[in-house]
Amino acid sequence: MKLYYFSEMPHHEFPDEEGDKYPSLRLEFPNRFFDREKAAANYQRYLTEYEFADQAGFDGLMINEHHSTPSCVNVGVNMTAAVLGRTTRRAKILLLGNILPIEENPVRMAEQLAMADLISGGRVLSGFVRGVGVETWWSNTNPVHNRERFEECHDLILKCWTEPGPFRWEGRHYHFRHVNPWCLPLQKPHPPIWTPGTASPETAVWAGRRGYTYVPFLVPFEIARELFDYYRQGAAEVGRTVTADNLGFLICAVTAETKAKALEAGRHFVWRMGPTLRAPTEYFAPVGMRSRAGAQFALRARPRSLATLSYQELLDGQFIVAGTPDEVIDRFSRIQRELGVGHLLLEAQESRMDHPTTMRSIELMGAKVIPGVAAL
Amino acid sequence: MRPREETISVGGVSVHTWIGGQGDPLLVLHGAGGNRGWTRWLAQVAERFTVLAPTHPGFGRSGDADWMDGIDDLARFHLWFIEAAGLGRPHLVGHSIGGWTAAEMATMSPGSIDRLVLVAPVGLKPEKGEILDVFYYSPPQLLTMTVHDPKTVPEWDELYGRAPTPAEIEIATRNREMAARLTWKPYMHNPRLAHFLPRVTNPTLIVWGREDRVVPVECGEQYRRLLPNADLTVLERCGHLPPVEQPEIFARLVLDFLGGHNRR
Repeated sequence: MKLYYFSEMPHHEFPDEEGDKYPSLRLEFPNRFFDREKAAANYQRYLTEYEFADQAGFDGLMINEHHSTPSCVNVGVNMTAAVLGRTTRRAKILLLGNILPIEENPVRMAEQLAMADLISGGRVLSGFVRGVGVETWWSNTNPVHNRERFEECHDLILKCWTEPGPFRWEGRHYHFRHVNPWCLPLQKPHPPIWTPGTASPETAVWAGRRGYTYVPFLVPFEIARELFDYYRQGAAEVGRTVTADNLGFLICAVTAETKAKALEAGRHFVWRMGPTLRAPTEYFAPVGMRSRAGAQFALRARPRSLATLSYQELLDGQFIVAGTPDEVIDRFSRIQRELGVGHLLLEAQESRMDHPTTMRSIELMGAKVIPGVAAL
Repeated sequence: MRPREETISVGGVSVHTWIGGQGDPLLVLHGAGGNRGWTRWLAQVAERFTVLAPTHPGFGRSGDADWMDGIDDLARFHLWFIEAAGLGRPHLVGHSIGGWTAAEMATMSPGSIDRLVLVAPVGLKPEKGEILDVFYYSPPQLLTMTVHDPKTVPEWDELYGRAPTPAEIEIATRNREMAARLTWKPYMHNPRLAHFLPRVTNPTLIVWGREDRVVPVECGEQYRRLLPNADLTVLERCGHLPPVEQPEIFARLVLDFLGGHNRR
């Protein structure tokens, strides 16, 4: 099983009582609490941690993108991919991912991803996501069109990568009369494509049909299994065989020399589950963004929102793994047995988890955990 | 005369329509909340006019129209509805997004419409203030912001007094989705509409609630300025729903303006 290092690049640099005054940290928390000096230092720190994860032996470096939130100030996943493409040497660069429905220019996205792939020597894993409602508000994209735009944006990017230009694209949402990108990915026919899932059966089926790597995020095991079943259903429709390499899973994880130290560090993940997900329904799921089936599945997938779970409940539910390297290997092995996944994505830094703790966790993962699970 | 419900087919889309009353035809276009049916003010106006209150495509029990992208599509559709229903040259009343639709219809084909009543229409970018982002709030929150004082709404219990059934929630969700489809961006307005309104010389009555928290009452003044033959009436202690907040007064305003009262 391959391990991936991931940080949301949080900006938890404000008094929590200030954030509590607003209905959500997303969209509404005023950016006068954004600390420019600390942000400048944090970007350097976070990139150093990614570079160390590359050196420590992680199979991949996962990066993501959000907007209008202190929970994630990585606001340009392709920009980060380009930086890491130059400053790391070995690990795959997993963008999970580009938020397709809010993209106005899929041709530019195809070019940027191709350039990151070229700079990194063909290490890009190109994740495509539908995004959460917050990004729909941020971009003022009609949520009713979310899935249509996701699919059409994907189709146009794929065409940019696989069919010779120039060609014309007159779709439902995208219109380009002269497509001829002079930047194509190093990987042929194109970088592997990944898709995350939290609640939409349609996305799982869609990814299964195409053989894309599918990764449920922070859901209970039984929900992940159900989503994998939808994925297999999509794969079966086109006669495709599903292997562990098609499936991944994302959790939060940290390790340290002692269990006590790891548990102390792991508490930082509670901020990510709680305060940063606190919001009125409309912020995360504006009208029309989810299908009826998706909305019903979401209710079952999260009978209780992550925001209401205690630290202990999050540990018990395997949303967070925190322990010594041996304990972490044990937990990861259980996840592999339970879900049969080939990729485990570790959100491994959060909130105010400090640099030395993060670096030590990366070091121990590299020295002990990654070799310990490589054969699974 | 009791109202009846009919389905009228327009361009392959089935349009659920309330029909009732007698007299000259009056077309009534509902707002983003959907078709509330045969409410008190409609019953009063139907004493003098043949009222047709269609449910917009994508709303309520009307057929889908996922291909529509904006209120101008809905306006062209309802001009077609006028022909399909054989209404000749009806008076036109529109509320909120229905008012915006009515205004667009009048700019496209002023000769297709007799007199025009615009009730708290969106459609213009406010010179002062902003149109409330109705999609940012839950339906219960929105309801409290939509009316000035629920205690003064005569039909409150009939319209909002009990928890909705699953079927009603499904329709409310569908209404909200279609409203989002039609009005998301630019939000609730057409930047070009102001340039076309001066074409509309039809006699027009604009009605607004002084305490409208959804669309600033100043927008009423903008409409009045841009329409060559329009009067603005502002109702005190009234929010965004004059037809249900003050049904008697509103019905009287409409009847007086349309002249039906005198034809008896």
